Amino acid sequence: MKISKLVFALAVGAFSFVSYKAEAQEKFFRAIGTPHNPKVEIAFNRYYTYEGLVDNMKKIAAAHPNLAKLESIGKSYEGRDIMTLTITDFSTGKDTDKPGMWIDGNIHSNEIQGGEFSLYGAWYLTEMFADNEFVRQLLKDKTFYITPTINPDARNNFFLEPNTANSPRSGMMILDNDGDGEAGEDMMDDLDGDGHITMMIRKSPTGRYIKDPQDPRKLIMVGPDKRGEYEMLGQEGTDLDGDGRVNDDGIGYYDPNRDWGWNWQPDYIQRGALKYPFTLPENRSVMEFVMKHPNIAGAQSFHNSGGMILRGPGAEEDVNTYNRDDIRIYDAIAQRGEEMIPGYRYLTVYKDLYSVFGGELDWFYGVRGVFTYSNELMNSYLYFHKESQGRGQDEMFKVDELLTMGDAFVNWHEFDHPQFGTVEIGGFKKNFGRAHPGFLLEQDAHRNTAFTIYHAYHTPKLSVMDVKEEELGGGLKAITATIFNERLMPTHASQDLKYKIERPDYVTISGAKVVAGFVVEDEDFNKFTEQKVTPEKISVANIPGMTGVKVKWIVSSGSNYSIAVDSAKGGKASWKK
Amino acid sequence: MKKILLSWLLVCGMGMSGVAYAQTDYPTLTQLNQRLQRIASNASAELTSLTKTDGDKDIWVLKIGTGQKDQKPALAVVGGVEGYEVLSVELAVQFAEKLVADHRKALESTTFYIFPNMSPDAYEQYHAALKYERRGNAVSVDHDRDGIPGGSGYTDLNGDGMITVMRVEDPMGDYLVSKEDERVLVKADRSKGEAGKYLLYKESKDDDKDGEFAEDLKEGIAFNKSLTYKFPVFEPLAGDMPVSQKESRAMLDYLFEQWNIFAFVTFSPANNLSSPLKYNAGNATKRVVTSILEKDQAINTLVSDLYKETVKQQSYLQDNQGTDGDFFQWAYFHFGRLSFSTPGYWVPEFKDATGKGKSNAEANFLAWADSLGMNDVFVPWTEVQHPDFLGKKVEVGGIKPFVMRTPTFEKVDEIAAQHTEFILKLAGMQPKLEIHNVKSESLGNGLSRVTLDLFNNSAIPTHSEMGEKSRWLRKIRIDMDATPDKIVSGNKIELVDSLGAYEKVSFSWIIRGSGNVTVKAGASHAGFTSTTLKL
Repeated sequence: MKISKLVFALAVGAFSFVSYKAEAQEKFFRAIGTPHNPKVEIAFNRYYTYEGLVDNMKKIAAAHPNLAKLESIGKSYEGRDIMTLTITDFSTGKDTDKPGMWIDGNIHSNEIQGGEFSLYGAWYLTEMFADNEFVRQLLKDKTFYITPTINPDARNNFFLEPNTANSPRSGMMILDNDGDGEAGEDMMDDLDGDGHITMMIRKSPTGRYIKDPQDPRKLIMVGPDKRGEYEMLGQEGTDLDGDGRVNDDGIGYYDPNRDWGWNWQPDYIQRGALKYPFTLPENRSVMEFVMKHPNIAGAQSFHNSGGMILRGPGAEEDVNTYNRDDIRIYDAIAQRGEEMIPGYRYLTVYKDLYSVFGGELDWFYGVRGVFTYSNELMNSYLYFHKESQGRGQDEMFKVDELLTMGDAFVNWHEFDHPQFGTVEIGGFKKNFGRAHPGFLLEQDAHRNTAFTIYHAYHTPKLSVMDVKEEELGGGLKAITATIFNERLMPTHASQDLKYKIERPDYVTISGAKVVAGFVVEDEDFNKFTEQKVTPEKISVANIPGMTGVKVKWIVSSGSNYSIAVDSAKGGKASWKK
Repeated sequence: MKKILLSWLLVCGMGMSGVAYAQTDYPTLTQLNQRLQRIASNASAELTSLTKTDGDKDIWVLKIGTGQKDQKPALAVVGGVEGYEVLSVELAVQFAEKLVADHRKALESTTFYIFPNMSPDAYEQYHAALKYERRGNAVSVDHDRDGIPGGSGYTDLNGDGMITVMRVEDPMGDYLVSKEDERVLVKADRSKGEAGKYLLYKESKDDDKDGEFAEDLKEGIAFNKSLTYKFPVFEPLAGDMPVSQKESRAMLDYLFEQWNIFAFVTFSPANNLSSPLKYNAGNATKRVVTSILEKDQAINTLVSDLYKETVKQQSYLQDNQGTDGDFFQWAYFHFGRLSFSTPGYWVPEFKDATGKGKSNAEANFLAWADSLGMNDVFVPWTEVQHPDFLGKKVEVGGIKPFVMRTPTFEKVDEIAAQHTEFILKLAGMQPKLEIHNVKSESLGNGLSRVTLDLFNNSAIPTHSEMGEKSRWLRKIRIDMDATPDKIVSGNKIELVDSLGAYEKVSFSWIIRGSGNVTVKAGASHAGFTSTTLKL
């Protein structure tokens, strides 16, 4: 019986192997660096609604039950589940026992591709696991927590409702933006019903613009002594509340990335802030998840656009929070990132971009001591592999002419406007400019995923090594052990050490009777710090990267002892005699 | 029989007319809840539980007003901001009781929000078997961040049911006996060559053996140390993030929905009523503002004068004008409302027959208490065996908890009466919008020009200078109710950022047609006014 079962299993295995190979040879050939014949097929040249993302996440979790678990970490404002994939090799230990890497996207709802980039990471890791030794070892050592959208309500709004490339940005909460006591009474109007809020122009004897004779999509200003033909009316829409302004009280406005509980400031100091940190249920869900996962040691948040790898501080007032030791690590990882993602520059938010109080990356670092980057995805460099010459609109027209064949532009067309009379509506579509065109999406997703993998790889990796014994006479012996961290990041960032954010790392000896225990400060000169209470469990404040710490015990008995290290962000390791 | 019935009626009547009459000490939470329910039986009062704390205690708010409550300017009164300030709770509750019983007229123009007790978990410690001045709620917190929550709290070493202090004789100690009062310890002034004699700690044991005493209390987060303004991140009792607790979130969520609040009176250790906050141009113009703004300082001065006129107690050692993460500063700096705070009571300055005072607050208190024959305010130093100081002399003693900040209960009536009067006077100063000089002039051919002045008939502006910056106060909105096609010039809706004290702003419209038009003006926190005129 047993034998027949085995034979059957072998037969099935052999059959599937053969058919797999045959199919592969007949129809396609392996490309380096990409999952070959994946269990879950996902096209990375299009965007996915919230439901689309979740559908793909479910397929990944179903296809790779030993590598991926899917859970809801909370509800959005409109009640959607915030879905998180936990990815690790569960056969080699619990996710929380390994250093964790948090990845999220889409905090700004119009910055959509963070969703697909995060999804790509989950797909790449799970599908490469079988074939790639590096990924196998990575998932043995690390855990990835991947949440493609932390703003699912407004992600769907961006896709399914009329918007510009810049709206909604916030979530779906509707506030009173013009201070008149009413909320959302002058939303955007999609007059031509094409799902894109573009621009309105009108023929006018006093207008200062004409359509460019060489490209009539382009409006150009006439010379100072020439008569124009058109005037600009601004965004497609109407003045619904009768206050003389078009589209002036829509969805939001607030900024989910000004809602985090480190150096939070109110709206009059930091526009976009809400009532207090984590007013938004989406951010609160992330915060609570992270607080319950002290193993998270690295984090990445995907935004768009501009091609940047950003680190904190978000505000000059926080310059002293980021100290030199940690900046060295930030620099080392991000400079690799600049090489891995052409056209992306490594920048510091407060000095290279603008001030942000209450941003997500400062929260991760300030409150949890987690090394965190925000990548501003998409960069016009990707179009022609040239730095754009500061002529953004012209370049966009060129891209649309040569690469996207007119797909990115709504051509001017007449519309009978209730307030302005006959107008023309037209302009770039909402999914052009900030969002990658389909043909650039997969490549940039891969490069950014490779960067987050490099980042995750450099979370601590601990081992117990170089255990030495020395007979002291009188039945006593000294045992010294080195706890080595073979990666860039320490178990405690300097921010973590400064505020004692996470507990110390514990190095425990068992199977020996301990008389005294020490942290070794300088072995050559016999400098030790004794730990008087529970000497068998030595508390080590930090295990720095690419080096280690030494501990020492004096024991009175025990020959079959073992030594284990237990670090919140550095994972676990052990050694046995 | 008749006599028995009468006395039974009397007892019953007392019970019904209010626990306050029978009360000889500060109320328990159960007694407070009963009093709040009794206030809520009044038609003008609504009592709502905003949430329950982790200690399963209600966070109550009373909304008291008549008519269109949300359309009238409102004052918020807050107690229990610190759990150890039992007086603050009593003052807030008595204000509510007096308001519904004796000051119904105030409700015609003002709505009141009373948050009687923001720290009920900590408040309970006053009545507990072990008494101490507690700040934190019932949440489990690792204050010393060693990985183990509540690892090293207080211990009642002398078994007297309260936590005082302990002194350890030690030549390396930094305290010595005060020259003003031998019961009191003061810090040795080493710059003057003084040697210390004692180490001084809260009454405790080093339970987690880390060499620190009472550094990881068995209490949670303090409400008055965990709000967003200058949040003291990672400090004990504050936590990792501001507004992390159920009670603080529930209160703020509620406040952000009440658009009509123009000012707060908080009973808390901070005091900007005995003397106003000081304007500092440098700190007021920084991006992160940390000084009261100039115009608001003038209002604070005005209200402080009103307070000193109404509340008789002379200021003494009132130097707390806000602490990091507290509520009273939050209400101003982050909520944009006028914000006033007072402890309501403090130990008066004591001078002996020769007119001599004490330089030390504890010595002053003890001298004052002695003069009144209060003999139960001090625990005499008594030696105890302390496991962490074997071979050393350890004595437990010191001033009893609560007594320095809490008046004896029979004094509360007068304090409450004076503070009630102050709050009502402050309410009387609220912004008051009026429309004056209404004119309708005919321009011929069916056109009329309508003009009017909108006037703030109050010594305080409609928006604090800070409030003008905040999106959480509405602008003054002027609505002309003529249909858009009838309005030839002028706006149907006008928004005005703020109207200063006794400031006016003029409006003009040209309207087509005849009949009546109505102009309505106001904002929830400044009240509304309207006028109807014939074209």
